[in-house]
Amino acid sequence: MRGGKRYKQVMREPQETDAGRGIGEVPGLWAILIAFLRLGCTSFGGGTAAWLHREFVLRRRWLDDQTFLAALALNQALPGSNGVKQAVLIGNHLRGAPGAAVALFGLLAGPFVIVLAVAAVYAGLIQHKIVHDMLDGVAAAVIGLTFATGLRSGVYGAPGFVAWAIVAVTVLCIGVLGWPLIPVVLCLIPVSVGLAWAQGRRR
Amino acid sequence: MRGSGDTLIALAVVFAPLSLLSFGGGNAVIADIAQQAITVQGWTSEREFADFFALSRAAPGPGSMLAALIGWKAAGVAGALVATLAFYLPSALLVFAAARLWGRWRGSSWHSAIERGIAPVAAGLFLGSGLVVLRASPGGPAVWVAAIVTTVALLRWPGMHPVPLLLAGAALFGILGAL
Repeated sequence: MRGGKRYKQVMREPQETDAGRGIGEVPGLWAILIAFLRLGCTSFGGGTAAWLHREFVLRRRWLDDQTFLAALALNQALPGSNGVKQAVLIGNHLRGAPGAAVALFGLLAGPFVIVLAVAAVYAGLIQHKIVHDMLDGVAAAVIGLTFATGLRSGVYGAPGFVAWAIVAVTVLCIGVLGWPLIPVVLCLIPVSVGLAWAQGRRR
Repeated sequence: MRGSGDTLIALAVVFAPLSLLSFGGGNAVIADIAQQAITVQGWTSEREFADFFALSRAAPGPGSMLAALIGWKAAGVAGALVATLAFYLPSALLVFAAARLWGRWRGSSWHSAIERGIAPVAAGLFLGSGLVVLRASPGGPAVWVAAIVTTVALLRWPGMHPVPLLLAGAALFGILGAL
């Protein structure tokens, strides 16, 4: 209950967020490894970027929303699995090249071992209808995790009317109109950066 | 497991370029992986590929361990390692190099304007991509209800771990499917 109340308060005062929440100390390599190993083994259902946000921004406070979102945007422009790239960017942000290497290894090692162990026992098990139904249920819940992450990171990491308008336009283009991602991003980012630049000069 | 040295090289040659072509995430190249694994290289049968795809979806972690499974089938544990590294490492190195280059300009006013400007687009992409997956999912209204309930629960109780919600989703859909 207390968590919910705190969240509502912050919703009303978005500008206070990052300063108020405070980013903790920079973790050591060992701590980064353990955190990514744990996340790799527990993040079911895809949507790894949302899991990473929950673990490192929300729970551990190792980085703030704006850093996370900026990394995510850089990430989206390049090829490869989004979750893996985001892990590399978070590791690099925290501890440079060794941090990135540890994050990459930590995220992949657990699922690698698990998936081979299951395949070695019996891969055919997975084709039963009930397994597929249950996976659909997991995927539906992960969509919820993605929504919650998008809303919360938008509130904290992109405060102000202009930023929220950009969020809304992006959702409209990608989610409602179903326009392709890359041209939409290429059009919106210059507009959004221009507005952020103009706002920065006015301050 | 035929001539395993050759197979390992073939795995690297197939997966490394796909790593650099998967714009928009790992799912973008699944059709290409299927074509290579089944038709071109003959590493798996169609049935095995379907099993591996389902298994990689069920596993924790990022996107798919599909590469690991195909490599394992083709050339054992060494094959799994080579395929995984080939599929993830090139894009990881690329994003790392980009981050390094980008970090060099930290502190300049346009650097921070770009980061502030990018943030709302990225947040919008989170929400938009969730909507895309939701609209494409075959589960009907139950998927919408489960997604909305999860969203509200996680916003209401930010400290809550999502795994109980996932288990609830799995149980609910398992029961609905059985009825």
